[in-house]
Amino acid sequence: MPPTAIPTDPRLFRLARGDETRPHLLGSYAPESELYFWPRRYRCPVTRTAVADVDLSSEGTLHAWTFLHVPRMGSISFGETGGYGIGQIDLPEGVRIQAPLFGTTDDWNIGTLMGMTTFPVGQDDDGNELVTFRFEAVR
Amino acid sequence: MATNLARDVYVIGVGMHRFNNDRLDSAAMADVAGMRALDDAGIEFPTVGALYNGYLGGSITSGVAIAKEFGLTGIPVTHVENASATGSCAFGEAVHAVSGGRVEVAMALGFDDMNRMAGLGRSSGRRMGAEDVMLPAAFFAMWATRRMHDVGTTVETFAAIAAKNWNHARANPLAQRRADHEITIEEVLSSTMISYPHTSMMACASGGGAAAAIVATKEVADRLGAGRPMIRVTASQQRSETYTPGHVFLGAVIGPAQMTRDTAADAYAQAGIGPDDLDLVQVHDAFPVEELVYYELLGICGDGEGDRLVADGETQLGGRIPFSTDGGLTARGHPGGPTGLAQIHETTMQLRDEAGNRQVTGARTGLCHMAGAGSVCVVHILQRTS
Repeated sequence: MPPTAIPTDPRLFRLARGDETRPHLLGSYAPESELYFWPRRYRCPVTRTAVADVDLSSEGTLHAWTFLHVPRMGSISFGETGGYGIGQIDLPEGVRIQAPLFGTTDDWNIGTLMGMTTFPVGQDDDGNELVTFRFEAVR
Repeated sequence: MATNLARDVYVIGVGMHRFNNDRLDSAAMADVAGMRALDDAGIEFPTVGALYNGYLGGSITSGVAIAKEFGLTGIPVTHVENASATGSCAFGEAVHAVSGGRVEVAMALGFDDMNRMAGLGRSSGRRMGAEDVMLPAAFFAMWATRRMHDVGTTVETFAAIAAKNWNHARANPLAQRRADHEITIEEVLSSTMISYPHTSMMACASGGGAAAAIVATKEVADRLGAGRPMIRVTASQQRSETYTPGHVFLGAVIGPAQMTRDTAADAYAQAGIGPDDLDLVQVHDAFPVEELVYYELLGICGDGEGDRLVADGETQLGGRIPFSTDGGLTARGHPGGPTGLAQIHETTMQLRDEAGNRQVTGARTGLCHMAGAGSVCVVHILQRTS
C-alpha cells in the first residue's frame, strides 16, 4: 500500500479531494473589505473585521520568477535541473503566492498560467509521505 | 505617522571593527567597536546612560555579557533585533532615549557573524513550507526579473551597480571585500550564478563584524565637541508594512515598496528637507536591484528613471548623489546586527570630512536606509550643523 500523503503544514494548504485535480491553498475572505488573504488571518488586517475561511483558486498567473542555483533545503535534490524555480503567482482572488516552480526556465514567462501541485519532501515518524506545494505551467 | 524628536540629538562617537569573513569572535569585535566609539566620543563608559545591543546570532544574553566588558555601571542594557535593520533600530532606540529625556548619552552597538547563523529564516524540523525555500537571493531576484519585464532594466545595469559598490569599498579599510583591481561589469556578470539574474558578486558579503555609535544631547555634544563638526540626527523614522494590492504575507523578505516610500517621506518631513538636499545615501543594497529601486522610492529620481542614474554615473563617488559610499552591503559587508550602524559610521565620517579617499566633497546631509525582513524599514537623516 502506498504511503499516505500528508501536507507539511495543514494550515497552509489541503490536498485535492474527490474529483478535484489540484490541491488548494487555505485562505481567508473579509466581507467588509472584500479582500482575500493567504495564509489565513485572525481578522482582516485592513478593517480589523471578521474573516471567513475559504479555499483559494489553484491556478493563477506568474508575476515574477527566478531560478535558484544555490541549495538550501537538504531534502530537495537539484537532480538534473541544476536548481529550481521560484515564483510569485497572482491568484484571481487578488492574492500573491510565493512558491517553488516545477520545470525549467523554458517552461514559463511572466504572465504564464500556473497551476498548483504537490511534491514529496520526506516522511513523518509514522512513514507517511510529507508533501509541500509548488506551481507548474498549465499546458 | 512621523514621530518627532523632542530634544536635539547628536552623534558624538562612532567605531567599527572591520567587517570580515575570518570567523572572529563576535564579542571581541563588539568590544573593539564599542571602545573605538567611546574613544571617538572622548568619554568613558560610565558616561553612557543606556546601551542598546543589536544582534541576530549568539545567545539571548550576549548583549548584557558584552556590556560587562565595558563596565558594571548598572545602566539599562537592551537587546534589539529586527533582522537586517537590527543595527538601525538599535541606533533609533538610542536616539529616542536621548530625545525623550531618558538619558543624556546613549550607545548603540551591533555585532554578529552571519556565517554562524545556520538555518536563519528557516522553519524547524520537517515543516518545509513555502517560507523555507525563500532565500533573500531568490526573493530579490524576483524583484529583478519583474523590473526587467516592466522597465526593461538589463543585467548590465545590475552589474554596474554592484561593480560601483565593489569599487567604493576599495577605498574603505573597514570593508570586507577589498578588490586589488578595478571591478568591471564583465567580471560581475561572469561570477557564479546564484539566482537569475543575480551572480555571486552581486550578492552582499555575508560575514562578521561590529559597529557602534554614541548619541547625546546638544549640551553634551557642545561640551565634548572641541571644535569638531557637529553631526545632528535630524530624522529617525521606522515603519512596518501597510496593505497594498498583491501583498505577500508568507515568504516575502521585504514588504511592499510603499513602506520605503512612506518611511522616507516621514524622514524628509521630520528633517524639513527633500531628496534634493541629500549629499550621499546608504541603502540596504543586499542586491543591486534594491539600490536601483531605492533611487526611486527615496525620491532621488522618478519611477523608472533609476537606470538612467546608473548609466550617467550619478550614484558613484564623484557623481551627483553617491550611494553606498563605503561599498554598501555589497562590499563593505552585511554581518547582520552591525550593518545599519556601519551606515551611521560611514555617514558620520563623511559629514565630518574624515572619509579619506572616498570623501564626498562638501557633504553636509546624509540619509541611511535599511530594510529588515518581516518586514520593517528604517530611515535616518544626519546633518552637519557646524
